[in-house]
Amino acid sequence: MNDFAALGAKIKAADGPGEAIKAFLRQAVEKKVADAVLVPVKVPAGNSYAWILVTDMSILDDASPVAPVMPVQGAKALKSLTRKGHGELTVMAVMRPCEIRATFELLKLNQVNLEKVVLVSYDCPGAIPFRDYVKDPGFGEKNFQAVMAAGGPAEKNVKPACVICDEFSRVDSDIHFGWFGESGSSVLVIPSSDRGVEVLGSMGMECSDDIAGWKKTISGLKEKKTGKRTATLTETAKTIQGLDGLLGTFSECIGCHNCMAVCPICYCRQCYFDSEVAKKTPDFILETAKKRGGLAFPSDRVMFHTGRMTHMSLSCVSCGMCTDACPVDIHVAEVFSYMADITQPAFEYTAGRNDGVPLPLRKYEEKEVPQVHEIVKEAEGEEAAHE
Amino acid sequence: MEKTFVPRITSFLCTWCSYTGADLAGTGRMQYPTAIIPIKVMCSSRVDPVFILKAYLKGSDGVFLGGCHPGDCHYEVGNYHTRRRFAIVKKIFESLGLEAERLRLSWISASEGPKFARVANEFTEKIIEMGENEAKKKIFL
Amino acid sequence: MSRIDLQKASSKGLKELLGHLLGSGKVSAVFSLRKDPETGSYDLGLITEEAGLETVKPLAPVMIANAGQVLSSFAPSAEPIAVVLKPCELRAFIERAKREQGSLENILTISMTCGGVLTLDRVVSGLDSDKIGDYENHCFAGDIHSETRETCKACEYFVPMNADITVSMVGQKDAGTKCHIYLNTDLAKEMAKGFGPDPVEEDFDNSLVEGLASKRAAEKEKLYGAVMSGKGGLDAVIDTFGKCLGCHGCSRVCPICYCMICDFESRNFDNDMPYFEKELEQKGALRLPPDTMFFHIGRMIHMSFSCVGCGQCSDVCPADIPVASVFKKVGEETAAIFEYVPGRDIEEAIPVMVFKEEEFTEFID
Repeated sequence: MNDFAALGAKIKAADGPGEAIKAFLRQAVEKKVADAVLVPVKVPAGNSYAWILVTDMSILDDASPVAPVMPVQGAKALKSLTRKGHGELTVMAVMRPCEIRATFELLKLNQVNLEKVVLVSYDCPGAIPFRDYVKDPGFGEKNFQAVMAAGGPAEKNVKPACVICDEFSRVDSDIHFGWFGESGSSVLVIPSSDRGVEVLGSMGMECSDDIAGWKKTISGLKEKKTGKRTATLTETAKTIQGLDGLLGTFSECIGCHNCMAVCPICYCRQCYFDSEVAKKTPDFILETAKKRGGLAFPSDRVMFHTGRMTHMSLSCVSCGMCTDACPVDIHVAEVFSYMADITQPAFEYTAGRNDGVPLPLRKYEEKEVPQVHEIVKEAEGEEAAHE
Repeated sequence: MEKTFVPRITSFLCTWCSYTGADLAGTGRMQYPTAIIPIKVMCSSRVDPVFILKAYLKGSDGVFLGGCHPGDCHYEVGNYHTRRRFAIVKKIFESLGLEAERLRLSWISASEGPKFARVANEFTEKIIEMGENEAKKKIFL
Repeated sequence: MSRIDLQKASSKGLKELLGHLLGSGKVSAVFSLRKDPETGSYDLGLITEEAGLETVKPLAPVMIANAGQVLSSFAPSAEPIAVVLKPCELRAFIERAKREQGSLENILTISMTCGGVLTLDRVVSGLDSDKIGDYENHCFAGDIHSETRETCKACEYFVPMNADITVSMVGQKDAGTKCHIYLNTDLAKEMAKGFGPDPVEEDFDNSLVEGLASKRAAEKEKLYGAVMSGKGGLDAVIDTFGKCLGCHGCSRVCPICYCMICDFESRNFDNDMPYFEKELEQKGALRLPPDTMFFHIGRMIHMSFSCVGCGQCSDVCPADIPVASVFKKVGEETAAIFEYVPGRDIEEAIPVMVFKEEEFTEFID
């Protein structure tokens, strides 16, 4: 996170941060700093939310900027809009921190165009597990109200990925709404990028309120969450050790690849593991079965999941969409988060930032990744010994 | 002042028969409504049935398909396939309670200028009677 | 048609038959539902050694993936394989074979009169022998089990249409202690030679399945009446599919949807910003990602007439949309206009591949 500003604008939020964001969006469109807003709106049946791009501001009345669930990762919604480039309209998108982080990963992968997008984030308490929500939307709404009322990152009733999320607050968005630790009747509007400063300026919002108190609250909460994340992922690590661990973890996998389909980072139109290249001939399959005495299908489950780790764990933002979409309750998100916590530090990379650092696999240096050097050195030593 | 409803009817016309029929209607100075928005295709079977659905969901008030009479297809059998595909789309619309009457398939040969004008007028009238396609206003599609 | 009667439970009897086929070398492999002894999870096994047959559960009420879809990956087979498929899986495979996604060559098909499969949720939460026993009691009595899939409860094609071998389960009151194996084809008779007691010449006893058939028919009427809350129209479609999150899991697990890249994920329907801006001008708002209803209705256009109603789509849907119920109903109606029954006969052409010179005049104005 850029430590961008020390000042923000305190605004009234008697009806909660969601309504405050809505009022802000209306003002942004009125002041013509944005032409359209991208927000979650409840679907007509009332049993879920969908991303709606709004220019007719009367529709904004039904919007829920801080929605209880995240059926579609916001980065994916933004990708479907801007993959082919920007247009005339300036879009203001209100998304969760993990959605914004995924957006920046997609930016590095050339899958979104942020030329005419203003990203708005907010202190996110977490989201209700989607499969729980659709089973009983009324109960889900009630749960989320409780989560919101607690006024901090939730410990329970939210997605497992949210329980261990330590990136719940300001990320590299343009404008951030801080409300954790604030009194219930106000929120802080914090510019977080040059564009954010410009936008707030054009809207005539004066940033003269000190945000040090909020920052302190956030860093305290963050520390707690980081501890929780480490502890949980250490437990996860134990379950996936060795081939047996992996086989056990993914033994229920039915090969639907929903996890890949909802992953914001997995942007390939056709997954390698679904492609012709990964297919085997009938003869090969029968021969393999004969060699082993049998073969279990769906085949290559461990191959798929570990393969997907190699493809995307460097960019994983731990949004937990994969777990939400898994029909057989595999805790995909924890496994991938654990992997991300290993692969990203190996390159001193943190997914989801907009700090000009390229994706690790897009560059190299002559001397880097010390772990690998150790392995190479060892191998060279062995070779020398043989000679 | 009440706005008069001018429907938009996306019309896929096979170049060998229906499109030429439409031309003939024009050169013969026969009147047909501006609601008809012709799209020339090499054969009515070029029209992926999904195009019909897309046109409907994107708010076309009517979708019209014009092909050669059975047996007259330039590619011999294209229109027979069109007929089956069209039947599937119609049936699905009926099954889901969507307005299947907004979809129409007619055989119009190159020499049937008057028939093209008649069908165009008839269909447009029917669509005007039915009113606007509600899909135009739905944002959750 | 002839029948072999064994004095043991159906699943045990079938296992022995599989053992005979594999042990005698009549087949090189057996493909069947299996329960992994180490993880306790169900999977589909392609088994080449007799010892491996210990783990098979050929008659378990479980479908983790449509086995007809999986079978495609190794059929056509160069060597004979015995496959145990549920009736809808067999029909799905035949639909796939028509699309050149597999072939029955060298395949001995074994199926059963099917009492339905338990929902995936139910399977994942763990199946003990009590649960299986409870299911079997219902099945053997010709009753519908309440935890089976919605489309199973409404399935009328639970007697395999063209299996080489059929194990009688539904309405077969003694199936828990006796195994009745029908040999429907010459291939089956040939393969079963030397196995068990001599077969008796007898046709399949339809009276066993009549009870379930009528219960299923009633259930189907109920299900179809409830599809889209009994309503029609664009609003009802939006209400039904509105919570779709666009994962397209339904199409990936669908045994009929065989395309490597679905049309609706392809470049064909990619849109750019000017396109969206135009739509915004009209509506003042639009949904992202776009084309949710387009995907579902479009998929109906592509495959509904071949839908076998296996219910896999509903079970993998993270949004709990009753996809299968809608597709089964719509599919039955589209198939009916061609007098087509998916998976009935491999020689029966897919409706969109053929035509008659005189037909559907009612659709032409």
